[in-house]
Amino acid sequence: MHSFAVDPGSTDISPVSFHPVLWICAAAVFAVIVLQSVIYLRAIRKAASSVDLTDGQVMGSVRRGGIAAIGPSLAVALVAVSLLPLFSTPAVLTRIGLVGSAAFDVAAAGLAAQSQGAQLGGPTYTQKVFAIGFAAMTLGGLVWMLTALILTPILAKGDKTLRKVNPAVMTVVPTAAILAAFMTLAFTETTKSGVHVLTLLVSAGVMGLCIAGAKYFKKPWLREWGLGIAIFVALAAAFLVTAK
Amino acid sequence: MSTKTATFDGLAQFDRTTSIWGPITLGLGFLVSLAAALFAAFGTGLGITGQEVWTAFGIVFATFGIIAVVEPISYYPILGRSAMYQAFMIGNIANKLLPSALIAQTDLGEKPGTRRAELIAGAAIIGAAFVHIITLIILVGFLGTWLLGLLPAGLIAVARLYILSAVFGAVTVQAVVSMKNARTTIIAAVVSAIVVYGVVRLAPVLTNYATAVSVVAVIIVAWFARKRTVASEAIDAPADAPSSIGH
Repeated sequence: MHSFAVDPGSTDISPVSFHPVLWICAAAVFAVIVLQSVIYLRAIRKAASSVDLTDGQVMGSVRRGGIAAIGPSLAVALVAVSLLPLFSTPAVLTRIGLVGSAAFDVAAAGLAAQSQGAQLGGPTYTQKVFAIGFAAMTLGGLVWMLTALILTPILAKGDKTLRKVNPAVMTVVPTAAILAAFMTLAFTETTKSGVHVLTLLVSAGVMGLCIAGAKYFKKPWLREWGLGIAIFVALAAAFLVTAK
Repeated sequence: MSTKTATFDGLAQFDRTTSIWGPITLGLGFLVSLAAALFAAFGTGLGITGQEVWTAFGIVFATFGIIAVVEPISYYPILGRSAMYQAFMIGNIANKLLPSALIAQTDLGEKPGTRRAELIAGAAIIGAAFVHIITLIILVGFLGTWLLGLLPAGLIAVARLYILSAVFGAVTVQAVVSMKNARTTIIAAVVSAIVVYGVVRLAPVLTNYATAVSVVAVIIVAWFARKRTVASEAIDAPADAPSSIGH
C-alpha cells in the first residue's frame, strides 16, 4: 500500500493521513460507540418496565431510530466522501462522520493551515500542514466533549445559575458567533482566486435552491441533502472552468 | 407500594449505570481522539513543535470555544442527562439524533421531558448510531476510498483545492436560513467584510486571528444591537436548539 515515507514538506499527505495508527484510532472510536450502545441498551431494557415500556417497544424504538437515521446518514456520507481527497479516510470517518461535522472540521483545519501560512489542498498543503490541521480539528472537537462531560452533571443537579443565564445571551451569542465565523471564512475564500469565488457562489446558490425547494415543494430531504449536493455541484463547476 | 419501589429501583439502576458508564465511555472517546491528535502531530516524526500545535488550536478555540460551551447547555433540556453522553460522542445531533429520538417518541405517544421519553430517546439514538456506523464503514470507508483510487489525479487536485469554498458557501447559507435572524446576519456580514477586506489588508499580522476577531466583534455588536423588549427576546429565542456546527 503506502510506503510510510514521512517528509514534512511533501505534498503527498498519504503516508501520514493513512498512517496505521490513525486507522487504529478510527476503529477504536467506533468500538467505544458500540460499547456505549451495548451498555446503554442493557440499562434501558432493564429499566423499561418501570416506565410502562415493553421490551418490544424498546427494540421497536431502536429500529425506528435506525430507520429515521438512514436519510441523514446517507447525506452525511455524501459530504464525507467529498472530503476524502482532503483529509483521507481515517480522519474523515472519525471527525466528519462521527464526532465532528463537516463545517467545523473544515473550518478548524483551514484556520490551522493559515497559521502555517498555508492553504488546505493547494501546493502548500504538506504532510506537516495536514498533521497540524488534523490535530487542531480534533483538539477543537475535544472541547465539545469536555464541556459536555463537565456541564452535564452540573445541569443534572438542576443548577439554577446555568439555566437562568439570560435567554438573550443563549440566543444572541451562538447566532452571532456562528454567522461571524462562517461569513469571515467564506469572505476569506473570495480573496484566493476567481475560481474560488465562483465555487463559493455556486455552492451558496445550490444550497439556497435546495432550502427553497424543500420549503415550497414540501420535500424536507432536499434540505438534508443540500450540503452534499451543493459541494458536488460547486466542485463540478470548479472542475469545468479549470479543465481546459 | 411495591410498584412504586419497583419504579424507583428500575430508574435508579438506570441512572446509576448511565451516570457511571456515560462519562466513562465519553471519556474513552475523548482519550482516543486525543491520542490520535497527539500522534499525528508529534508521533509521525514531522518535527512539529508544541508551539505550532498550540497556536493552531488557540485560533480554533478563540473562534469556536464559546459555541462549545453554549451547545451542551442548549441541548440538555431536549436530550436529558443520559443521552448527553451518547450525543456528544456520536455527533450529528441536530440533523440525525434529535429527529430519530422525536420520531420514536411520537410513535409511542410520548413527549420530550418525561423519564419514559428519555428511555425511548436513548433506544432510538442507539438505532441511529448503529445505522450511521454501518453506512460510514460501507459507503465512506470501503466504497469512498475505493472510488478515490479510481478518480483521475486532476479531478482530485481540483476537489482538494476548492473544497473549502464549496463547503463554506453552502454552510453560510444554511446558517443564515436556520438562524432566522436578519439583524445579526446583517451585522455579521458587514463586520466580516470589514475584517476580511479592510483590517487584514491593513494589518496582515492579524490574518491568523481574522475569524476570531470577527466572532468577538459580531458578538459585541449584536449584543448591543439586539431587540431589547422582553417579548421580542422570547420570540427571538428559537423553539429548537441552535443548529449544531460542532456536532
